[in-house]
Amino acid sequence: MAEALSFDVAIVGGGPAGQAAAIQLAGHGLSIAVVDEQARPGGQILRQPPRAFRVAHWLAGRSYRALHAQFAAFEALPVTWLGGHSVLDAAPGRLLLHGPDGAVSVTARRILIAAGCQDLAVPIPGWTLPGVYSAGGVQAMVKSQQIVPGARVLLAGTHPLQLVIAEQIVRGGGTVAGVLFAQSRAAMLAPMLRDPAAAFRRATDLLAGQAALATLRRAGVPVRYGVGLTALRGSDWVSEAITTDGTIACDAVGLCYGFVPQSGLPRMLGAEVVQAGPAGGWRCVHDEWMRTSVAGVFAAGETTGVAGAAAAAAGGALAGIGIARDLGSLAPDAAERAAAAPRRVLARHRRFAALLDAIADPRGHFPALEPETLVCRCEDVPHAALCAEVATGASANAIKRATRCGMGLCQGRNCEPSLLRMIAAPDPGFTARFPARPVTIGDLAGD
Amino acid sequence: MSAIRIDDDVQRGTPIRILVDGAPIACFEGETIATAMLAADRLAFRQDTRGAGRGMFCNMGSCCECMVTLVGSGRRVRACLADARDGMEVSTRG
Ligand SMILES: Cc1cc2nc3c(=O)[nH]c(=O)nc-3n(C[C@H](O)[C@H](O)[C@H](O)COP(=O)(O)OP(=O)(O)OC[C@H]3O[C@@H](n4cnc5c(N)ncnc54)[C@H](O)[C@@H]3O)c2cc1C
Ligand code: FES
Repeated sequence: MAEALSFDVAIVGGGPAGQAAAIQLAGHGLSIAVVDEQARPGGQILRQPPRAFRVAHWLAGRSYRALHAQFAAFEALPVTWLGGHSVLDAAPGRLLLHGPDGAVSVTARRILIAAGCQDLAVPIPGWTLPGVYSAGGVQAMVKSQQIVPGARVLLAGTHPLQLVIAEQIVRGGGTVAGVLFAQSRAAMLAPMLRDPAAAFRRATDLLAGQAALATLRRAGVPVRYGVGLTALRGSDWVSEAITTDGTIACDAVGLCYGFVPQSGLPRMLGAEVVQAGPAGGWRCVHDEWMRTSVAGVFAAGETTGVAGAAAAAAGGALAGIGIARDLGSLAPDAAERAAAAPRRVLARHRRFAALLDAIADPRGHFPALEPETLVCRCEDVPHAALCAEVATGASANAIKRATRCGMGLCQGRNCEPSLLRMIAAPDPGFTARFPARPVTIGDLAGD
Repeated sequence: MSAIRIDDDVQRGTPIRILVDGAPIACFEGETIATAMLAADRLAFRQDTRGAGRGMFCNMGSCCECMVTLVGSGRRVRACLADARDGMEVSTRG
Protein backbone atom coordinates (compact mmCIF):
# COMPACT_ATOMS: atom_id res chain seq x y z
CA MET A 1 0.00 0.00 0.00
CA ALA A 2 1.24 3.48 -0.84
CA GLU A 3 2.17 5.90 1.96
CA ALA A 4 -0.76 7.55 3.75
CA LEU A 5 -2.10 10.82 2.33
CA SER A 6 -2.47 13.40 5.04
CA PHE A 7 -4.99 16.26 5.32
CA ASP A 8 -6.46 18.58 7.92
CA VAL A 9 -9.97 17.53 6.95
CA ALA A 10 -11.27 14.49 5.06
CA ILE A 11 -14.85 14.67 3.83
CA VAL A 12 -16.64 11.49 2.76
CA GLY A 13 -19.27 12.34 0.14
CA GLY A 14 -19.29 14.90 -2.66
CA GLY A 15 -23.04 15.52 -2.50
CA PRO A 16 -24.75 18.74 -1.39
CA ALA A 17 -23.62 18.20 2.23
CA GLY A 18 -19.95 17.46 1.51
CA GLN A 19 -19.74 20.32 -0.98
CA ALA A 20 -21.27 22.83 1.44
CA ALA A 21 -18.81 21.79 4.15
CA ALA A 22 -15.83 22.17 1.80
CA ILE A 23 -17.03 25.61 0.75
CA GLN A 24 -17.20 26.74 4.39
CA LEU A 25 -13.77 25.30 5.13
CA ALA A 26 -12.07 26.97 2.17
CA GLY A 27 -10.03 30.09 2.74
CA HIS A 28 -8.75 29.05 6.16
CA GLY A 29 -5.52 27.55 4.88
CA LEU A 30 -6.64 24.01 5.69
CA SER A 31 -5.86 21.06 3.44
CA ILE A 32 -9.08 19.29 2.48
CA ALA A 33 -9.77 15.99 0.73
CA VAL A 34 -13.20 14.99 -0.56
CA VAL A 35 -13.71 11.28 -1.21
CA ASP A 36 -16.53 9.85 -3.29
CA GLU A 37 -16.97 6.56 -5.08
CA GLN A 38 -18.68 8.34 -7.94
CA ALA A 39 -16.26 9.76 -10.47
CA ARG A 40 -17.61 13.30 -10.21
CA PRO A 41 -19.05 15.37 -7.37
CA GLY A 42 -22.79 16.04 -7.20
CA GLY A 43 -24.09 13.28 -4.95
CA GLN A 44 -27.26 11.38 -5.70
CA ILE A 45 -29.44 14.36 -6.48
CA LEU A 46 -26.99 15.91 -8.95
CA ARG A 47 -25.55 12.75 -10.47
CA GLN A 48 -23.33 14.25 -13.15
CA PRO A 49 -23.18 12.91 -16.68
CA PRO A 50 -19.74 11.53 -17.57
CA ARG A 51 -17.11 14.06 -18.64
CA ALA A 52 -17.13 12.52 -22.11
CA PHE A 53 -20.82 13.47 -22.57
CA ARG A 54 -22.34 16.81 -23.55
CA VAL A 55 -25.88 17.16 -22.25
CA ALA A 56 -27.74 20.36 -23.09
CA HIS A 57 -30.28 21.68 -20.54
CA TRP A 58 -29.19 19.15 -17.94
CA LEU A 59 -31.52 19.26 -14.87
CA ALA A 60 -32.62 22.76 -15.83
CA GLY A 61 -35.67 22.80 -13.51
CA ARG A 62 -35.98 25.49 -10.84
CA SER A 63 -35.52 23.10 -7.96
CA TYR A 64 -31.98 22.29 -9.15
CA ARG A 65 -30.78 25.91 -9.51
CA ALA A 66 -29.19 26.34 -6.06
CA LEU A 67 -27.50 22.96 -6.42
CA HIS A 68 -25.90 23.94 -9.74
CA ALA A 69 -24.56 27.14 -8.16
CA GLN A 70 -23.11 25.24 -5.21
CA PHE A 71 -21.56 22.67 -7.54
CA ALA A 72 -19.84 25.42 -9.55
CA ALA A 73 -18.49 27.00 -6.35
CA PHE A 74 -17.22 23.61 -5.18
CA GLU A 75 -15.50 22.83 -8.49
CA ALA A 76 -13.54 26.09 -8.17
CA LEU A 77 -12.13 25.16 -4.74
CA PRO A 78 -8.55 24.03 -4.18
CA VAL A 79 -9.57 20.71 -2.57
CA THR A 80 -8.10 17.29 -3.33
CA TRP A 81 -10.90 15.45 -5.11
CA LEU A 82 -10.60 11.70 -4.61
CA GLY A 83 -13.38 10.59 -6.98
CA GLY A 84 -13.73 6.92 -7.84
CA HIS A 85 -12.54 6.00 -4.35
CA SER A 86 -14.68 3.99 -1.93
CA VAL A 87 -14.19 4.26 1.81
CA LEU A 88 -13.72 0.73 3.12
CA ASP A 89 -12.94 1.48 6.72
CA ALA A 90 -13.10 4.46 9.04
CA ALA A 91 -11.56 5.16 12.44
CA PRO A 92 -11.03 8.49 14.20
CA GLY A 93 -8.32 10.31 12.23
CA ARG A 94 -8.04 7.65 9.56
CA LEU A 95 -9.82 6.36 6.46
CA LEU A 96 -8.97 3.41 4.29
CA LEU A 97 -9.95 3.90 0.65
CA HIS A 98 -10.05 1.71 -2.38
CA GLY A 99 -9.55 3.27 -5.79
CA PRO A 100 -8.45 2.41 -9.30
CA ASP A 101 -4.89 1.82 -8.09
CA GLY A 102 -5.75 -0.28 -5.06
CA ALA A 103 -5.92 0.66 -1.39
CA VAL A 104 -5.05 4.15 -0.13
CA SER A 105 -4.76 5.22 3.47
CA VAL A 106 -5.77 8.76 4.47
CA THR A 107 -5.14 10.45 7.77
CA ALA A 108 -6.96 13.62 8.78
CA ARG A 109 -7.33 15.75 11.91
CA ARG A 110 -11.08 15.87 11.40
CA ILE A 111 -13.35 13.55 9.45
CA LEU A 112 -16.79 14.44 8.11
CA ILE A 113 -19.13 11.65 7.06
CA ALA A 114 -21.63 12.96 4.51
CA ALA A 115 -22.37 9.65 2.81
CA GLY A 116 -26.00 10.36 1.92
CA CYS A 117 -28.78 7.84 1.74
CA GLN A 118 -29.96 4.93 -0.36
CA ASP A 119 -33.33 3.58 -1.46
CA LEU A 120 -35.03 1.41 1.13
CA ALA A 121 -34.82 -2.08 -0.39
CA VAL A 122 -38.28 -3.64 -0.18
CA PRO A 123 -38.51 -7.34 -1.00
CA ILE A 124 -41.45 -8.49 -3.06
CA PRO A 125 -42.02 -11.81 -4.81
CA GLY A 126 -40.05 -11.65 -8.06
CA TRP A 127 -37.89 -8.67 -7.11
CA THR A 128 -34.66 -10.48 -7.93
CA LEU A 129 -35.62 -10.72 -11.62
CA PRO A 130 -33.33 -8.68 -13.86
CA GLY A 131 -35.06 -5.41 -14.77
CA VAL A 132 -36.22 -4.68 -11.22
CA TYR A 133 -34.37 -1.68 -9.75
CA SER A 134 -34.55 0.76 -6.92
CA ALA A 135 -36.33 3.87 -8.18
CA GLY A 136 -33.38 6.10 -7.31
CA GLY A 137 -31.21 3.81 -9.38
CA VAL A 138 -33.53 4.22 -12.36
CA GLN A 139 -33.44 7.97 -11.93
CA ALA A 140 -29.66 7.97 -11.79
CA MET A 141 -29.59 6.10 -15.12
CA VAL A 142 -31.70 8.83 -16.67
CA LYS A 143 -29.83 11.76 -15.12
CA SER A 144 -26.28 10.57 -15.42
CA GLN A 145 -25.90 7.90 -18.08
CA GLN A 146 -28.82 9.25 -20.12
CA ILE A 147 -30.56 5.92 -20.56
CA VAL A 148 -34.08 4.73 -19.81
CA PRO A 149 -33.84 1.15 -18.53
CA GLY A 150 -36.68 -0.32 -20.60
CA ALA A 151 -39.43 0.30 -23.13
CA ARG A 152 -42.16 0.35 -20.45
CA VAL A 153 -41.03 1.37 -17.00
CA LEU A 154 -43.33 0.87 -14.02
CA LEU A 155 -42.83 2.87 -10.83
CA ALA A 156 -44.43 1.59 -7.66
CA GLY A 157 -44.27 2.23 -3.94
CA THR A 158 -45.30 5.00 -1.60
CA HIS A 159 -42.86 7.88 -2.15
CA PRO A 160 -43.87 11.05 -4.06
CA LEU A 161 -40.40 11.15 -5.68
CA GLN A 162 -41.82 8.60 -8.13
CA LEU A 163 -43.69 11.42 -9.83
CA VAL A 164 -40.48 13.35 -10.48
CA ILE A 165 -38.71 10.22 -11.73
CA ALA A 166 -41.61 9.34 -14.04
CA GLU A 167 -41.58 12.87 -15.43
CA GLN A 168 -37.85 12.68 -16.11
CA ILE A 169 -38.34 9.39 -17.96
CA VAL A 170 -41.13 10.87 -20.09
CA ARG A 171 -39.01 13.95 -20.86
CA GLY A 172 -36.19 11.63 -21.88
CA GLY A 173 -38.49 10.07 -24.45
CA GLY A 174 -39.26 6.93 -22.45
CA THR A 175 -42.61 5.33 -21.73
CA VAL A 176 -43.89 4.94 -18.19
CA ALA A 177 -46.30 2.00 -17.83
CA GLY A 178 -47.73 3.51 -14.68
CA VAL A 179 -47.06 5.15 -11.35
CA LEU A 180 -48.62 3.28 -8.45
CA PHE A 181 -49.03 4.63 -4.95
CA ALA A 182 -49.96 1.91 -2.49
CA GLN A 183 -51.62 4.44 -0.20
CA SER A 184 -54.81 6.34 -0.93
CA ARG A 185 -54.82 9.92 -2.12
CA ALA A 186 -56.52 10.99 1.11
CA ALA A 187 -53.73 9.39 3.14
CA MET A 188 -51.17 11.41 1.17
CA LEU A 189 -53.02 14.69 1.64
CA ALA A 190 -53.82 14.32 5.35
CA PRO A 191 -50.33 15.13 6.69
CA MET A 192 -50.22 18.34 4.62
CA LEU A 193 -53.48 19.48 6.14
CA ARG A 194 -52.06 18.76 9.60
CA ASP A 195 -49.03 21.02 9.04
CA PRO A 196 -49.96 23.45 6.26
CA ALA A 197 -47.21 25.90 7.28
CA ALA A 198 -44.44 23.36 6.70
CA ALA A 199 -46.05 22.36 3.42
CA PHE A 200 -46.36 25.96 2.31
CA ARG A 201 -42.69 26.75 3.01
CA ARG A 202 -41.61 24.06 0.61
CA ALA A 203 -44.06 25.12 -2.06
CA THR A 204 -41.46 24.66 -4.83
CA ASP A 205 -41.26 20.95 -4.13
CA LEU A 206 -45.01 20.60 -4.00
CA LEU A 207 -45.33 22.57 -7.23
CA ALA A 208 -42.68 20.35 -8.83
CA GLY A 209 -44.91 17.42 -7.93
CA GLN A 210 -47.92 19.18 -9.47
CA ALA A 211 -45.99 20.02 -12.65
CA ALA A 212 -44.83 16.41 -12.88
CA LEU A 213 -48.43 15.23 -12.57
CA ALA A 214 -49.50 17.54 -15.39
CA THR A 215 -46.71 16.25 -17.66
CA LEU A 216 -47.65 12.66 -16.87
CA ARG A 217 -51.32 13.34 -17.58
CA ARG A 218 -50.45 14.84 -20.98
CA ALA A 219 -48.30 11.80 -21.77
CA GLY A 220 -51.18 9.51 -20.85
CA VAL A 221 -49.31 7.89 -17.95
CA PRO A 222 -51.70 6.29 -15.47
CA VAL A 223 -51.06 7.56 -11.94
CA ARG A 224 -53.02 5.48 -9.45
CA TYR A 225 -53.54 5.64 -5.71
CA GLY A 226 -54.41 2.81 -3.37
CA VAL A 227 -52.90 0.26 -5.74
CA GLY A 228 -50.15 -1.90 -4.27
CA LEU A 229 -47.68 -4.25 -5.90
CA THR A 230 -48.25 -7.92 -5.12
CA ALA A 231 -45.61 -9.67 -7.22
CA LEU A 232 -43.31 -9.27 -10.22
CA ARG A 233 -43.21 -12.01 -12.81
CA GLY A 234 -41.13 -12.95 -15.83
CA SER A 235 -38.73 -15.60 -17.05
CA ASP A 236 -35.37 -14.09 -17.98
CA TRP A 237 -36.39 -10.62 -16.89
CA VAL A 238 -39.42 -8.89 -15.45
CA SER A 239 -42.35 -8.81 -17.87
CA GLU A 240 -45.38 -8.09 -15.72
CA ALA A 241 -46.42 -6.71 -12.40
CA ILE A 242 -49.28 -8.19 -10.42
CA THR A 243 -51.04 -5.46 -8.46
CA THR A 244 -53.97 -5.33 -6.06
CA ASP A 245 -55.95 -4.11 -9.08
CA GLY A 246 -54.90 -6.16 -12.08
CA THR A 247 -51.78 -6.97 -14.07
CA ILE A 248 -49.54 -4.43 -15.81
CA ALA A 249 -47.13 -5.33 -18.63
CA CYS A 250 -43.69 -3.76 -18.17
CA ASP A 251 -40.02 -4.53 -18.77
CA ALA A 252 -38.43 -2.45 -16.02
CA VAL A 253 -39.62 -1.62 -12.53
CA GLY A 254 -38.47 1.05 -10.06
CA LEU A 255 -39.39 0.32 -6.44
CA CYS A 256 -39.92 3.52 -4.46
CA TYR A 257 -40.84 3.06 -0.80
CA GLY A 258 -38.52 5.67 0.68
CA PHE A 259 -34.90 6.29 1.58
CA VAL A 260 -32.66 5.34 4.48
CA PRO A 261 -29.39 6.95 5.59
CA GLN A 262 -26.15 5.21 4.67
CA SER A 263 -25.13 4.39 8.21
CA GLY A 264 -22.31 1.87 7.72
CA LEU A 265 -19.42 4.28 8.25
CA PRO A 266 -20.77 6.02 11.38
CA ARG A 267 -21.58 2.63 12.86
CA MET A 268 -18.10 1.32 12.09
CA LEU A 269 -16.68 4.37 13.81
CA GLY A 270 -18.77 3.58 16.87
CA ALA A 271 -20.78 6.79 16.52
CA GLU A 272 -24.19 6.82 18.17
CA VAL A 273 -27.10 6.22 15.80
CA VAL A 274 -30.86 6.08 16.36
CA GLN A 275 -33.76 4.74 14.31
CA ALA A 276 -34.16 6.96 11.29
CA GLY A 277 -37.85 7.09 10.47
CA PRO A 278 -40.84 5.09 9.31
CA ALA A 279 -38.92 3.59 6.39
CA GLY A 280 -36.33 2.01 8.69
CA GLY A 281 -32.57 2.52 8.88
CA TRP A 282 -30.31 4.42 11.27
CA ARG A 283 -29.36 8.07 11.40
CA CYS A 284 -26.24 9.45 13.03
CA VAL A 285 -26.77 11.58 16.12
CA HIS A 286 -25.00 14.98 16.27
CA ASP A 287 -24.70 18.08 18.45
CA GLU A 288 -25.16 21.76 17.51
CA TRP A 289 -21.89 21.72 15.48
CA MET A 290 -22.64 18.40 13.73
CA ARG A 291 -20.13 16.59 15.93
CA THR A 292 -20.90 12.89 16.37
CA SER A 293 -20.40 11.04 19.66
CA VAL A 294 -16.85 10.13 18.48
CA ALA A 295 -14.16 12.78 19.03
CA GLY A 296 -12.95 14.37 15.78
CA VAL A 297 -15.74 12.86 13.68
CA PHE A 298 -18.53 14.99 12.24
CA ALA A 299 -21.62 13.97 10.26
CA ALA A 300 -23.89 15.89 7.89
CA GLY A 301 -26.43 15.44 5.15
CA GLU A 302 -28.61 12.39 4.93
CA THR A 303 -26.23 10.38 7.10
CA THR A 304 -27.98 12.38 9.85
CA GLY A 305 -31.51 11.77 8.51
CA VAL A 306 -33.17 11.94 5.11
CA ALA A 307 -34.46 15.48 4.66
CA GLY A 308 -33.62 16.47 1.07
CA ALA A 309 -30.79 18.33 -0.60
CA ALA A 310 -31.43 21.77 0.96
CA ALA A 311 -31.28 20.31 4.47
CA ALA A 312 -28.17 18.32 3.49
CA ALA A 313 -26.45 21.48 2.27
CA ALA A 314 -27.39 23.40 5.44
CA GLY A 315 -26.10 20.59 7.66
CA GLY A 316 -22.92 20.40 5.59
CA ALA A 317 -22.33 24.14 5.93
CA LEU A 318 -22.83 23.88 9.67
CA ALA A 319 -20.36 20.98 9.86
CA GLY A 320 -17.81 23.02 7.89
CA ILE A 321 -18.20 25.92 10.30
CA GLY A 322 -18.00 23.52 13.26
CA ILE A 323 -14.80 21.93 11.99
CA ALA A 324 -13.15 25.30 11.29
CA ARG A 325 -14.05 26.35 14.84
CA ASP A 326 -12.73 23.09 16.27
CA LEU A 327 -9.42 23.49 14.44
CA GLY A 328 -9.04 27.06 15.69
CA SER A 329 -9.48 28.57 12.23
CA LEU A 330 -12.65 30.38 13.22
CA ALA A 331 -13.20 32.29 16.48
CA PRO A 332 -16.11 30.95 18.57
CA ASP A 333 -18.18 34.13 18.24
CA ALA A 334 -17.64 34.30 14.46
CA ALA A 335 -18.61 30.63 14.21
CA GLU A 336 -21.74 31.28 16.25
CA ARG A 337 -22.75 34.10 13.89
CA ALA A 338 -22.03 32.04 10.79
CA ALA A 339 -23.99 29.07 12.18
CA ALA A 340 -27.24 30.94 12.76
CA ALA A 341 -28.55 30.83 9.19
CA PRO A 342 -27.76 27.18 8.38
CA ARG A 343 -29.23 26.11 11.74
CA ARG A 344 -32.50 27.88 10.90
CA VAL A 345 -32.62 26.36 7.42
CA LEU A 346 -31.87 22.89 8.77
CA ALA A 347 -34.67 23.08 11.34
CA ARG A 348 -37.15 24.31 8.74
CA HIS A 349 -36.33 21.55 6.28
CA ARG A 350 -36.41 18.87 8.93
CA ARG A 351 -39.97 19.91 9.69
CA PHE A 352 -40.85 19.44 6.04
CA ALA A 353 -39.02 16.11 6.04
CA ALA A 354 -41.24 14.91 8.88
CA LEU A 355 -44.22 15.82 6.71
CA LEU A 356 -42.79 13.98 3.72
CA ASP A 357 -42.11 10.95 5.93
CA ALA A 358 -45.77 10.91 6.91
CA ILE A 359 -46.93 11.29 3.29
CA ALA A 360 -44.64 8.49 2.08
CA ASP A 361 -44.96 6.21 5.15
CA PRO A 362 -44.45 2.68 3.76
CA ARG A 363 -45.64 0.87 6.90
CA GLY A 364 -48.81 -1.02 6.18
CA HIS A 365 -47.92 -1.17 2.48
CA PHE A 366 -45.04 -3.63 2.39
CA PRO A 367 -45.87 -6.46 -0.03
CA ALA A 368 -46.55 -9.89 1.48
CA LEU A 369 -43.70 -12.32 0.80
CA GLU A 370 -43.78 -15.88 -0.46
CA PRO A 371 -41.73 -18.44 1.54
CA GLU A 372 -39.09 -18.56 -1.21
CA THR A 373 -38.84 -14.78 -1.78
CA LEU A 374 -35.18 -13.85 -1.24
CA VAL A 375 -34.87 -11.21 1.46
CA CYS A 376 -31.05 -11.20 1.50
CA ARG A 377 -30.07 -10.77 -2.14
CA CYS A 378 -26.33 -11.32 -1.64
CA GLU A 379 -26.54 -14.66 0.16
CA ASP A 380 -29.86 -15.89 -1.33
CA VAL A 381 -31.62 -16.22 2.03
CA PRO A 382 -35.36 -16.81 1.58
CA HIS A 383 -38.12 -15.38 3.72
CA ALA A 384 -39.09 -18.79 5.18
CA ALA A 385 -35.58 -19.35 6.61
CA LEU A 386 -35.72 -15.97 8.34
CA CYS A 387 -39.24 -16.59 9.71
CA ALA A 388 -37.99 -19.78 11.32
CA GLU A 389 -35.09 -17.98 13.03
CA VAL A 390 -37.13 -14.96 14.06
CA ALA A 391 -39.61 -17.32 15.75
CA THR A 392 -36.83 -18.50 18.10
CA GLY A 393 -36.47 -14.94 19.41
CA ALA A 394 -32.92 -14.57 18.02
CA SER A 395 -31.27 -11.17 17.50
CA ALA A 396 -30.30 -9.82 14.07
CA ASN A 397 -26.65 -10.73 14.66
CA ALA A 398 -27.58 -14.28 15.73
CA ILE A 399 -29.81 -14.67 12.66
CA LYS A 400 -26.92 -13.44 10.54
CA ARG A 401 -24.67 -16.19 11.89
CA ALA A 402 -27.37 -18.84 11.52
CA THR A 403 -28.57 -17.98 7.99
CA ARG A 404 -25.83 -15.78 6.43
CA CYS A 405 -28.46 -13.04 5.98
CA GLY A 406 -26.48 -9.78 5.90
CA MET A 407 -23.13 -11.51 5.51
CA GLY A 408 -22.69 -10.81 1.80
CA LEU A 409 -21.02 -8.09 -0.22
CA CYS A 410 -23.56 -5.38 0.62
CA GLN A 411 -22.96 -5.89 4.36
CA GLY A 412 -26.66 -6.00 5.12
CA ARG A 413 -27.53 -2.67 3.53
CA ASN A 414 -30.39 -4.28 1.57
CA CYS A 415 -31.77 -6.81 4.03
CA GLU A 416 -31.29 -5.24 7.46
CA PRO A 417 -34.45 -3.07 7.44
CA SER A 418 -36.56 -6.05 6.29
CA LEU A 419 -35.13 -8.32 8.97
CA LEU A 420 -35.59 -5.72 11.71
CA ARG A 421 -39.24 -5.33 10.70
CA MET A 422 -39.66 -9.06 11.19
CA ILE A 423 -38.03 -8.87 14.63
CA ALA A 424 -40.66 -6.93 16.48
CA ALA A 425 -38.49 -6.30 19.57
CA PRO A 426 -35.94 -3.45 19.62
CA ASP A 427 -32.67 -4.71 18.10
CA PRO A 428 -29.42 -2.85 17.42
CA GLY A 429 -29.16 -4.53 14.01
CA PHE A 430 -26.05 -6.00 12.43
CA THR A 431 -22.66 -4.98 13.78
CA ALA A 432 -21.08 -2.85 11.02
CA ARG A 433 -17.90 -4.50 9.89
CA PHE A 434 -14.96 -3.89 7.58
CA PRO A 435 -15.04 -3.58 4.57
CA ALA A 436 -17.89 -1.16 3.88
CA ARG A 437 -17.48 -1.87 0.17
CA PRO A 438 -16.21 -5.01 -1.60
CA VAL A 439 -12.44 -5.32 -2.04
CA THR A 440 -10.08 -8.13 -2.94
CA ILE A 441 -7.43 -9.36 -0.50
CA GLY A 442 -4.83 -8.72 -3.21
CA ASP A 443 -5.70 -5.03 -3.35
CA LEU A 444 -5.41 -4.73 0.41
CA ALA A 445 -2.06 -6.46 0.42
CA GLY A 446 -0.90 -4.07 -2.28
CA ASP A 447 -0.21 -6.75 -4.91
CA MET B 1 -35.87 -5.56 -23.00
CA SER B 2 -32.97 -3.33 -23.68
CA ALA B 3 -32.45 0.08 -22.21
CA ILE B 4 -32.98 3.05 -24.50
CA ARG B 5 -30.28 5.69 -24.90
CA ILE B 6 -31.74 9.20 -24.70
CA ASP B 7 -30.81 11.08 -27.87
CA ASP B 8 -32.35 14.52 -27.57
CA ASP B 9 -29.75 17.06 -26.44
CA VAL B 10 -27.18 14.37 -25.65
CA GLN B 11 -23.79 14.01 -27.25
CA ARG B 12 -21.97 10.88 -26.12
CA GLY B 13 -18.26 10.12 -26.09
CA THR B 14 -16.32 8.27 -28.78
CA PRO B 15 -17.84 4.94 -29.87
CA ILE B 16 -15.93 2.06 -28.25
CA ARG B 17 -16.37 -1.69 -27.91
CA ILE B 18 -16.15 -4.05 -24.98
CA LEU B 19 -16.48 -7.83 -24.78
CA VAL B 20 -18.98 -9.34 -22.35
CA ASP B 21 -18.60 -13.11 -21.97
CA GLY B 22 -16.83 -13.06 -25.31
CA ALA B 23 -19.58 -11.18 -27.19
CA PRO B 24 -18.73 -7.74 -28.58
CA ILE B 25 -20.86 -4.85 -27.35
CA ALA B 26 -20.82 -1.42 -28.92
CA CYS B 27 -20.98 1.46 -26.47
CA PHE B 28 -19.60 4.95 -25.84
CA GLU B 29 -16.76 6.42 -23.87
CA GLY B 30 -18.12 7.67 -20.54
CA GLU B 31 -20.65 4.88 -20.19
CA THR B 32 -20.40 2.49 -17.28
CA ILE B 33 -20.06 -1.23 -17.90
CA ALA B 34 -23.61 -1.54 -16.54
CA THR B 35 -25.02 0.91 -19.09
CA ALA B 36 -23.21 -0.82 -21.93
CA MET B 37 -24.68 -4.15 -20.83
CA LEU B 38 -28.25 -2.89 -20.32
CA ALA B 39 -28.26 -1.13 -23.68
CA ALA B 40 -27.12 -4.38 -25.32
CA ASP B 41 -29.91 -6.35 -23.66
CA ARG B 42 -27.61 -8.14 -21.22
CA LEU B 43 -29.58 -7.73 -18.03
CA ALA B 44 -28.02 -10.60 -16.07
CA PHE B 45 -24.80 -9.71 -14.24
CA ARG B 46 -24.44 -13.07 -12.53
CA GLN B 47 -26.30 -16.27 -11.72
CA ASP B 48 -27.53 -16.92 -8.20
CA THR B 49 -27.32 -20.17 -6.22
CA ARG B 50 -30.58 -21.31 -7.82
CA GLY B 51 -29.21 -20.77 -11.31
CA ALA B 52 -31.40 -17.73 -11.90
CA GLY B 53 -30.01 -14.70 -13.72
CA ARG B 54 -29.62 -11.68 -11.46
CA GLY B 55 -29.62 -8.06 -12.49
CA MET B 56 -28.21 -4.91 -11.00
CA PHE B 57 -30.38 -3.11 -8.47
CA CYS B 58 -29.26 0.21 -6.92
CA ASN B 59 -27.07 1.76 -9.63
CA MET B 60 -25.19 3.74 -6.98
CA GLY B 61 -22.54 1.39 -5.66
CA SER B 62 -24.26 0.20 -2.51
CA CYS B 63 -26.03 -3.11 -3.30
CA CYS B 64 -23.09 -4.88 -4.99
CA GLU B 65 -25.50 -6.81 -7.25
CA CYS B 66 -23.65 -5.70 -10.38
CA MET B 67 -20.22 -7.23 -9.60
CA VAL B 68 -18.50 -8.52 -12.73
CA THR B 69 -14.96 -9.76 -13.35
CA LEU B 70 -12.47 -7.97 -15.58
CA VAL B 71 -10.81 -10.66 -17.65
CA GLY B 72 -7.04 -10.37 -17.52
CA SER B 73 -6.61 -8.64 -14.20
CA GLY B 74 -9.24 -10.83 -12.53
CA ARG B 75 -10.42 -7.74 -10.69
CA ARG B 76 -14.02 -7.76 -9.46
CA VAL B 77 -15.71 -4.41 -10.01
CA ARG B 78 -19.15 -2.94 -9.53
CA ALA B 79 -20.35 -2.49 -13.11
CA CYS B 80 -22.47 0.54 -12.15
CA LEU B 81 -19.37 2.43 -11.00
CA ALA B 82 -16.75 1.19 -13.47
CA ASP B 83 -16.26 2.90 -16.83
CA ALA B 84 -16.34 0.84 -20.00
CA ARG B 85 -12.96 1.13 -21.78
CA ASP B 86 -12.26 0.25 -25.36
CA GLY B 87 -11.28 -3.40 -25.71
CA MET B 88 -12.13 -4.25 -22.09
CA GLU B 89 -13.15 -7.86 -21.48
CA VAL B 90 -15.82 -8.56 -18.88
CA SER B 91 -17.08 -11.86 -17.52
CA THR B 92 -20.37 -12.42 -15.68
CA ARG B 93 -19.33 -15.96 -14.82
CA GLY B 94 -17.02 -15.12 -11.91
C1 LIG C 1 -30.37 7.14 -5.96
C2 LIG C 1 -30.94 8.36 -5.30
C3 LIG C 1 -31.53 9.38 -6.07
C4 LIG C 1 -32.05 10.53 -5.46
N1 LIG C 1 -32.64 11.51 -6.23
C5 LIG C 1 -33.21 12.59 -5.63
C6 LIG C 1 -33.89 13.60 -6.38
O1 LIG C 1 -33.99 13.52 -7.59
N2 LIG C 1 -34.45 14.64 -5.74
C7 LIG C 1 -34.36 14.77 -4.40
O2 LIG C 1 -34.87 15.74 -3.85
N3 LIG C 1 -33.69 13.86 -3.66
C8 LIG C 1 -33.14 12.77 -4.24
N4 LIG C 1 -32.51 11.82 -3.48
C9 LIG C 1 -32.28 12.12 -2.06
C10 LIG C 1 -30.89 12.81 -2.13
O3 LIG C 1 -29.89 11.85 -1.97
C11 LIG C 1 -30.62 13.93 -1.23
O4 LIG C 1 -31.64 14.85 -1.14
C12 LIG C 1 -29.27 14.63 -1.41
O5 LIG C 1 -28.54 14.19 -2.52
C13 LIG C 1 -28.53 14.37 -0.14
O6 LIG C 1 -27.30 14.96 -0.13
P1 LIG C 1 -26.10 14.35 0.71
O7 LIG C 1 -24.96 15.25 0.47
O8 LIG C 1 -26.54 14.10 2.09
O9 LIG C 1 -25.85 12.91 0.09
P2 LIG C 1 -25.55 12.43 -1.41
O10 LIG C 1 -25.95 13.41 -2.40
O11 LIG C 1 -26.13 11.07 -1.50
O12 LIG C 1 -23.97 12.31 -1.43
C14 LIG C 1 -23.30 11.31 -0.71
C15 LIG C 1 -22.12 10.84 -1.51
O13 LIG C 1 -21.34 9.98 -0.69
C16 LIG C 1 -20.80 8.98 -1.49
N5 LIG C 1 -20.51 7.82 -0.63
C17 LIG C 1 -21.35 7.14 0.19
N6 LIG C 1 -20.70 6.14 0.81
C18 LIG C 1 -19.42 6.17 0.36
C19 LIG C 1 -18.26 5.37 0.62
N7 LIG C 1 -18.28 4.34 1.47
N8 LIG C 1 -17.12 5.69 -0.03
C20 LIG C 1 -17.07 6.74 -0.89
N9 LIG C 1 -18.13 7.52 -1.17
C21 LIG C 1 -19.28 7.24 -0.55
C22 LIG C 1 -21.85 8.68 -2.53
O14 LIG C 1 -21.26 8.16 -3.70
C23 LIG C 1 -22.50 10.03 -2.74
O15 LIG C 1 -22.05 10.69 -3.89
C24 LIG C 1 -31.97 10.66 -4.06
C25 LIG C 1 -31.40 9.63 -3.30
C26 LIG C 1 -30.88 8.49 -3.89
C27 LIG C 1 -30.27 7.43 -3.04
S1 FES D 1 -26.11 -1.90 -8.94
FE1 FES D 1 -25.87 -1.75 -6.81
S2 FES D 1 -23.71 -1.65 -6.64
FE2 FES D 1 -24.01 -1.57 -8.75
